[in-house]
Amino acid sequence: MRYSPTLVDHFLNPRNAGLMRDADGVGEDEYAGCGDLTRVFLRVRAGRAAEVRFQTYGCGPTIAAASATSELARGRTVEDLVTLKPEDVETALGGLPDDRRHAADVAAGALRNAALDYLRRRDGGEAGRPGRV
Amino acid sequence: MRRTVYLDHNASTPVHPEVLAAMLPFFGEVYGNPSSVHGFGRAARDAVDDARATIARFLGSRPDEVVFTSGGTESDNFGVKGLALARGAGHVITSRIEHHAVLRTCEALEGQGFEVTYLSVDDQGRLDPDDVKRALRRDTLAISVMHANSEVGTIQPIAEIGAIAREHGVPLHVDAVQTFGKIPIDVEAMGIDLLSFSGHKIYGPKGAAGLYVRRGTKMVAVQHGGEHERRRRAGTENVPGIVGLAAAVEIRSREMGGEAERLSALRDRLWDGIRGRIPETRLNGAKVARLPGTANVVFRHVESESIVLGLDLKGIAVSAGSACTAGNVEPSYVLVAMGIPVDWAMGAVRFSLGRSTTAEDVDYVVEAIEPLVAKLRLASPSRTPVTT
Repeated sequence: MRYSPTLVDHFLNPRNAGLMRDADGVGEDEYAGCGDLTRVFLRVRAGRAAEVRFQTYGCGPTIAAASATSELARGRTVEDLVTLKPEDVETALGGLPDDRRHAADVAAGALRNAALDYLRRRDGGEAGRPGRV
Repeated sequence: MRRTVYLDHNASTPVHPEVLAAMLPFFGEVYGNPSSVHGFGRAARDAVDDARATIARFLGSRPDEVVFTSGGTESDNFGVKGLALARGAGHVITSRIEHHAVLRTCEALEGQGFEVTYLSVDDQGRLDPDDVKRALRRDTLAISVMHANSEVGTIQPIAEIGAIAREHGVPLHVDAVQTFGKIPIDVEAMGIDLLSFSGHKIYGPKGAAGLYVRRGTKMVAVQHGGEHERRRRAGTENVPGIVGLAAAVEIRSREMGGEAERLSALRDRLWDGIRGRIPETRLNGAKVARLPGTANVVFRHVESESIVLGLDLKGIAVSAGSACTAGNVEPSYVLVAMGIPVDWAMGAVRFSLGRSTTAEDVDYVVEAIEPLVAKLRLASPSRTPVTT
């Protein structure tokens, strides 16, 4: 198996998968190379991610990366989420093959965009809308 | 032990024990070079000649019309380039859904000044013989059409195309890698001038294949060296492989009819099971004229590679219609040519059944797919999932 047991576990038992209604922040990222798309929803309480959910369309590692990201994000400050790196996601998955690194990029990117959406809304800007549904 | 179910027989098959037994002496005591005049060489030559006769009988051809090669890809290259280069310039007709061994060869020929017409197929992957007729030009030097498509299993109307080719005096090359030994082929009755076939799709060894070349067909060799294979393909014959290929053909000639019927029933059981339990699925390819063991199924809202991984973790081997290579996923060009929308094509999975497949295997696979697809769809953004 070219994937770590942790990755396989996230793929088979994704944590926090599904839509969140009335989220405080929503963000998307996609990888044009293969059409992978991840969308992250945040519920923020006292400046921290109280609840995180995701939807994703992609290969096994992309699903696993979104799941791991949702766990990494929970409880962190929104500012932390903006700076969460793809490397952190990769580490949480127990590694990714070279040709699947984009899975971590997409997951971290979607989380960052969700955090930025929350901050924009908080600061009086318009709520962001996912680009594609 | 964990249960395993192999449903990727269009990719490759296990060597049949009888085939292996037939091959073994040719790794040991019979090791001569068939070109050598001494006894060791003659023993190897006899084995190659016997194998050639077996395959010729199976195809309805003469033994000297069978040329051994190293694989289906080589046979396709040899067939198409051999015809084109013998004429030096001109026009080739093929289809958009050929194997890359033919498509890339045609593209290479275009780079050398040849012209190629790539014919479209209908939504079932079927070529219209009238389109072949309309594409013919005065300088058409070859028609190359696959017998059945490896991804969707659609069987082309080869006999009708063969009649057109014959009427216009244009040689017809048929890539029969997916049909040889699975459904009947008669090169005379079907008007075939060249036919590519391979061993490892029919429980023979890898690296053993061939090209049928009708006597009198004007073509040149593409691999040069010694005078092997009547100067058509240089290189010492792969004696164990050729013996194994012929042994596989012997077995297929016994088993083919009954096996085709059995696999068709299992294939239909698989599709009935899937469509009965999982909404938003679709069977691709021809409904009737389809390879007995092939079912190409789209699971909407899910990327096929995630299904392949999920089933692999259950010990089930299938293949994805789209492949992510170095971070790039392209939907299958075959499905796109059939007019299947890209978002559907991305969720296509090919199940190809074979000798070892049982009804229990099929039921096990259906049981495994249902919760897997449900789970993947729950997380998919192209669908509104249940929320908590």
